[in-house]
Amino acid sequence: MTVLEARGVSKAFGQVAALRSADLRLEAGQVHGLLGENGAGKSTLVGILTGLQAPDSGVVAVGGQPVARLTPGSARALGIACIHQQPALVPDLSVAENLALRLDPPRALGRVRRDRWRSRALDLLERAGGGVDPDTEAGALPLPLRQRVEIACALGSGARVLLMDEPTASLARPDQERLLALVRSLRASEVAILYISHRLEEVAALADRVTVLRDGATVATLPAGPGRSGPHDVAGWVRLMIDRDPPAGHAAPATAADRGDGIVDPRPPLALGLRAIGCRAVGIQDVSMDLPAGRITGLAGLVGSGRTGLARILAGLDPADAGTLEMDGRKVHARTPAEAIALGIACLPEDRRRHGVICGMSVAANLALASPGRVFPGGWLRAQAERDLAGHWIRALSIRTPGPAAEVGTLSGGNQQKVALGRWLATSPRVLVLDEPTQGVDVGAKAEIHRIIRDLAGSGMAILLISSDLPELLSLSDHLHVFRAGRCVAGFPGGSPADVVMAAALGVEAAVARPPGEDAP
Amino acid sequence: MRRPGIPAPSRETLLAALLIVEGAVFSVTGHGFASLDNVLGLARLACEGGLLALALAPVVLAGGIDLSLGSLLGLSSVVLGLLWRDAGWPWPWAAAGAVACGALGGLVNAVAVARLRANPLIVTLGTLSLFRGLAEALTRGVDTVTGFPAAFLSLGQGALAGGVPVQAPLLAAALAGSWLLVHRHRCGREWRAIGFSAEGALHAGVPVGRRRLQAHLLAGVAAGVAAVVQVSRVGQAKADAGTGMELLAVTAVVLGGTHLSGGQGSIAGTFLGFAVLAVLRNGLQLSDQPAELAGILTGVVLLGVLVLGARRGGQRG
Amino acid sequence: MSTDLRRARPVALVLGVLAVILAVTAPGFFSRAQLAPFLAGTAPVLVVACGMAVLMVTREVDVSVGSQFALCSVLLGLLLGEGCPPALGIPAAVAAGALLGAVNGALAAGLRLPGLVVTLGTLAIGREALRWAREGRFVQDLPPSVQWLGLGQSLGQWALALAALAVATAVSLGLQGLMAGRWVHAAGSDPAAAATVGVPVRRVTFGAFTLLGALTGLAAALNVARFTDVDPKTGAGLEMQVIAAALIGGVSIEGGRGGILGVSLGVLLLAALSPALVFLGIPPEWERVLQGAIVLASVAGGTRRAPGRPTP
Repeated sequence: MTVLEARGVSKAFGQVAALRSADLRLEAGQVHGLLGENGAGKSTLVGILTGLQAPDSGVVAVGGQPVARLTPGSARALGIACIHQQPALVPDLSVAENLALRLDPPRALGRVRRDRWRSRALDLLERAGGGVDPDTEAGALPLPLRQRVEIACALGSGARVLLMDEPTASLARPDQERLLALVRSLRASEVAILYISHRLEEVAALADRVTVLRDGATVATLPAGPGRSGPHDVAGWVRLMIDRDPPAGHAAPATAADRGDGIVDPRPPLALGLRAIGCRAVGIQDVSMDLPAGRITGLAGLVGSGRTGLARILAGLDPADAGTLEMDGRKVHARTPAEAIALGIACLPEDRRRHGVICGMSVAANLALASPGRVFPGGWLRAQAERDLAGHWIRALSIRTPGPAAEVGTLSGGNQQKVALGRWLATSPRVLVLDEPTQGVDVGAKAEIHRIIRDLAGSGMAILLISSDLPELLSLSDHLHVFRAGRCVAGFPGGSPADVVMAAALGVEAAVARPPGEDAP
Repeated sequence: MRRPGIPAPSRETLLAALLIVEGAVFSVTGHGFASLDNVLGLARLACEGGLLALALAPVVLAGGIDLSLGSLLGLSSVVLGLLWRDAGWPWPWAAAGAVACGALGGLVNAVAVARLRANPLIVTLGTLSLFRGLAEALTRGVDTVTGFPAAFLSLGQGALAGGVPVQAPLLAAALAGSWLLVHRHRCGREWRAIGFSAEGALHAGVPVGRRRLQAHLLAGVAAGVAAVVQVSRVGQAKADAGTGMELLAVTAVVLGGTHLSGGQGSIAGTFLGFAVLAVLRNGLQLSDQPAELAGILTGVVLLGVLVLGARRGGQRG
Repeated sequence: MSTDLRRARPVALVLGVLAVILAVTAPGFFSRAQLAPFLAGTAPVLVVACGMAVLMVTREVDVSVGSQFALCSVLLGLLLGEGCPPALGIPAAVAAGALLGAVNGALAAGLRLPGLVVTLGTLAIGREALRWAREGRFVQDLPPSVQWLGLGQSLGQWALALAALAVATAVSLGLQGLMAGRWVHAAGSDPAAAATVGVPVRRVTFGAFTLLGALTGLAAALNVARFTDVDPKTGAGLEMQVIAAALIGGVSIEGGRGGILGVSLGVLLLAALSPALVFLGIPPEWERVLQGAIVLASVAGGTRRAPGRPTP
């Protein structure tokens, strides 16, 4: 039974067409995968289906009945709920109050019923996976639990349609598994689910049907499902998404031998050594590792295992309070970001829009921001130096921008990430720390960033790569460290089997780590 | 519905046009408005406010605010007067003491904002009371220091060759200096980055604390200098000197197109914004209009420019 | 409620210490003859501070309350002088205040302009317009029926204090017990998230500005009742006083947090400084120094208690 349908929906923002006559049909009791590169129109389509945006033309039909003007309120009343990437919870209110804001009728003079709100929250949270105290302030919850609150809310509203936008993007593996199990149980209770994810393997394991969007238009709607969509189909989807052969994103691991002139230095010089590093502020203890020049060192671990904490230590944001950093056989200190930069350590932060770039400033100013010595010698601006620097990195990283003066906030996610990367490369670092460099970046830009990372290592830079994308990590890294609970618990050579690495990150035997259910071999 | 080919006028253009309109109107209505004497006199009268506005701009660009500058001017004035009269310091030393007092006051704000990471609005609301209170306490609320030597008074009342008041080159130097600092120096770039995103700037290695500290310190020094200029101009040091100046400075900065959330804005805009306000006051006075009308129009102009800006922003999307 | 109490604890502690000092050194302060005028004088400030607290919880601020206060006071004075009965005049003052607040709200919430700047503008316009219209003249010879609400001085003083207490209680109950109160917290805590979950953020902000205006009008009426004439300069500096009281009472300048209990104690603390100085034999010029120091101390305390950076 079709519960929600978009027919020939178009939407333009200014001169840019975000959707061109797109079609989508959601059936009760089915998971529908929605695929497409960043900018293909997925978010716009979700916005239209939830009433946040009005289509320029086309029809949205609920239960077969066209709805003339869908608003967020009427969408909710019609049983359409949306789980956002970043759950919209009000930080200073308790979880129970947050649920009440959404589930109770929006009457200003409605009474606050603490006890009733609390018991209802308890019940819904239990159904959504539990583990959340309804009296906690929502702002104090970690991301996976905030998402659970959001799902509890969808359950409480009796939603018949659930739109999930990258629900697993920021979840650690066990939480991902729990979420997928929940999606399956919702499907069993006849809810229609729209599932948007860049993780194609996940979609393949979960979806009953898949729709691919490209440039705002529906390219194809294909049957999927366990057994029907193997790795072969995933490659086919990627072809449909990008209208060209898939880039070698998951190519065989590039070892040091593949680079340069084929001469492998068995013991490359050490760029940076970590000796028993610890930092209470980020919960890191006794971490020792070598970052050799010209090699990509991978860092695996669950979200919250201390990976980003290590990046913050190296960036000088949270200086180590135990252990030493070693460079060229000498003890060095990175107590401030400026000191870290002076040492030749560059850190690309995880949160691109908040930390990676400054959206309101120009591409040129962003590229120059970490290299004041070059653009402001003696403190005063040398405009020519800034133009040269910006021009160089725009070309070198093929940043697609109207010009160096364009505001970074107007660029696409992938190009913003390249600006962030260019800023750090402009400091001519010896050590480059990359924290989730491809998160939320589309397939094309991802392959491009992978190529850049390999090239940088090839040019002799030491790279520490942090990623939740295990295939990416395994294919790029020469060596891999695994973090668990703030400690470095294991090391593997590049190209090791994924389940072994994941087992180390989870702290369990390899066999247990294999995901249960239909995608088990 | 703006056609795409015509860009929206910048805030600076808007203010320059407003300034020209003011000039045209007051040339007709104001007695002696268009005379050279009046223009020079304007520089003399407006100097202190201009100094504060120009010094406030970097603070606001970096996402902060300083509401204590008027009070700090008052405190520095009192310190100048008491050092000269009661402590018996020669006037140049007393003037230096007033500037040091401004710097110290700025440092209090700076440390609270940059080191304790307190909200600048609260901090400077507190120091607004604190500085004015100290000024009142030092003078017991009524004491006024007068009778300064002629050499000192000539600083504020004297003229250079051609009748140019001493304040004119000072204001010009402040304008040039702040323009260079904001638009041509590393500090300005980094203030802007902090204003747009303090966390982002921190990640890029910008010394966020030090830059904020410098901005507040500079504002304090400017308040101290403004105190010296004002005491030498009016010939007396009183605890209520500079009352309301913080609002004038904030109004000028906002009128000039600087966003209170930080990042966006220019020195040219700030100066034009201030000039619009100063000319308005002066022109209305010469047109025999009550001073209150100037106050009302200041508010109207501020709201008008804001509303215009909001409508433009709305059209942009 | 528990978080409200927790936030009010530091200011309650300071107020308690001050009360103990006064009780030991100057027990006369707590005599009925001293306390009643003190509370009556504090009543208008408390009423405005309640409105300011609500507005600040929505992450906005209004620096024009002083001029609203003066405008409403003069309007009420003129109405009463024309023979309008207080039962009509006082609602008129409240309505005038609500209208002034609504103008601020329309500009700030409707056009999404920063409230601080908008109210800076309306502050100047209101204050200067009043100065122009009145040229410094007081509204004089108010009818005796207005004085102390016609109850006589001692009863009237208690009536004013009780009226303010009633307002504070009502605002507190509304903030805690009505959906609108949760909306106020939600709108200030994270406007974007609040809008996503269906909170009418802009209407809430507009409403908070209007409520503050109405309460300022009411406060003006409570103040007019204390005197035989109306000074057109009344209320100068009121905005700083109530904002400072809200801040030291635990209202967050970043919005989302704060309660009326703490704000009420903050109002009392700031108001008690001046008589306390007199009783303690300290020159009154030091009052503003102390006020500033208390605000700064609340900042320092706030930063110390603030939770550390969440570890990623």
